[in-house]
Amino acid sequence: MLLDYIDFIVQSFVTTLIMTFLGLSGGLVLGILSALGDVYGNRFIRIIIGAYVEFFRGSPLIVQLLLFYFSFPVLTGIKWDSFTAGAVTLMLNSGAYQKGYFKGAIEAVSKDQLLAARSLGMTSGQILRHIVLPQAFRIVIPSWTNEYVSLGLSTSALTVIGLRELTTISKSIAAQTFEPLEVYSLTGLIYLTWISISIKILNYIYSRVKIPGLEISVGAVPS
Amino acid sequence: MSVLECVDLKKSYGRLQVLKGINFEIKRGEKKVIIGPSGSGKSTFLRIMGFLEPPTEGRIFFKGEDVYASRLNLNLIRSKIGFVFQEPSLFRHLTCLENVKIGLKCVLKMRDKEATEKAIEALKAVKMEEWADYYPAQLSGGQQQRVGIARALARDPEILLFDEPTASLDVELTWEVIDVMRDLARRGVTMLIVTHEIAFAKEVADEILFMNSGRIIESGPPEQILTNPRTPRVKEFLKRLVGGT
Ligand SMILES: Nc1ncnc2c1ncn2[C@@H]1O[C@H](COP(=O)(O)OP(=O)(O)O)[C@@H](O)[C@H]1O
Ligand SMILES: [Mg+2]
Repeated sequence: MLLDYIDFIVQSFVTTLIMTFLGLSGGLVLGILSALGDVYGNRFIRIIIGAYVEFFRGSPLIVQLLLFYFSFPVLTGIKWDSFTAGAVTLMLNSGAYQKGYFKGAIEAVSKDQLLAARSLGMTSGQILRHIVLPQAFRIVIPSWTNEYVSLGLSTSALTVIGLRELTTISKSIAAQTFEPLEVYSLTGLIYLTWISISIKILNYIYSRVKIPGLEISVGAVPS
Repeated sequence: MSVLECVDLKKSYGRLQVLKGINFEIKRGEKKVIIGPSGSGKSTFLRIMGFLEPPTEGRIFFKGEDVYASRLNLNLIRSKIGFVFQEPSLFRHLTCLENVKIGLKCVLKMRDKEATEKAIEALKAVKMEEWADYYPAQLSGGQQQRVGIARALARDPEILLFDEPTASLDVELTWEVIDVMRDLARRGVTMLIVTHEIAFAKEVADEILFMNSGRIIESGPPEQILTNPRTPRVKEFLKRLVGGT
């Protein structure tokens, strides 16, 4: 029975993966930039970043999705599909969280090291590239793993704008087959398997790039 | 020839005036030691002489050139000055070798092979070449400071500035750092050192300067400052430092 729908399920899961990937990578760029802006920027930049983070961390993802999908076209006159609206919202949302993680990681690099780098004659750009970021990336991995899990599972909220990801498709299959128990159990199992494998991979990466004395974790490593 | 010189140097942080007009000069090959109570402005003075911070007033000359007035490239000048800090300041994500190499590659644009050779030579000078591939966290405080000295030394700087390099170390680890510094002094490296290792100061210093609340209140050869200081303030400080012996 369920096997008839396997194609749909696989397809929708791929959509879930793509949305997670887009949200995380867009959020990575936004998060790093906002963190740098917050740490090194002037007052004006910091206020803008603060407002952005406040909004996306202080309101439910579902509301953000509805707002972007339905209100954005009304405000701007530009119509966009649920895929684009969803991807953009996830990026902005994840960026707001990743900003916090990166800021913590950047600030964990001691002032003494920055002064030492300056004393060698390194430029600000070189200090950022060779001293701050390589350490921040290592320090951030545990928190980043949390964000991966959190955003990955949150993609199911995309169902409110009708995007055909795993949760949306499961709902319609359940409605068609009248087998909600089987369908939703399978859906849950897919999420569970995906997330546990991902955590294993990220933890493995972490253990490979870890450097003695730099294993300070800003957040707990999910086990 | 004078390597570093400052004229009427002043520095304020907000309303707090930390340096209140300092005149100082150090010539090639000279070793000068600064002593003085904590909070008197020694670290601030060193940071400013290392061009890590601008002064509020006054002029600083590097090899005769007025650095701020002539708008010289600060990074270029910093690359000719070696700075050793009180706190362990090695880059945590780099091995000892990489710590020493990074300035050579990034700033002096040396090729990898040349930088490696230079770095190993500098690590040898501080007897740390066997630890080249270890990370800072795997070393003792004294070993970290020695690598810090190697990092400052590798570029053949015109002068080395030391800001209490042994102050955060356990007593047993102090001597290994002092040993390295004594070695450098013998090799004729120009050094400006903030330290309270009095025996060391007596041995290597051409001149000892006493700093007190932002001023150099007394200076002279070690024998005079250490055994026969003019000001009661210095006398009292030394008595307490030597601890009654
Ligand atoms: N960046 C700074 N901002 C504000 N005050 C500072 C700063 N750096 C040093 N000070 C102040 O300047 C004074 C001298 O400090 P410092 O140069 O570290 O003295 P020392 O090295 O002799 O102990 C202290 O009162 C200290 O609090
Ligand atoms: Mg000090």
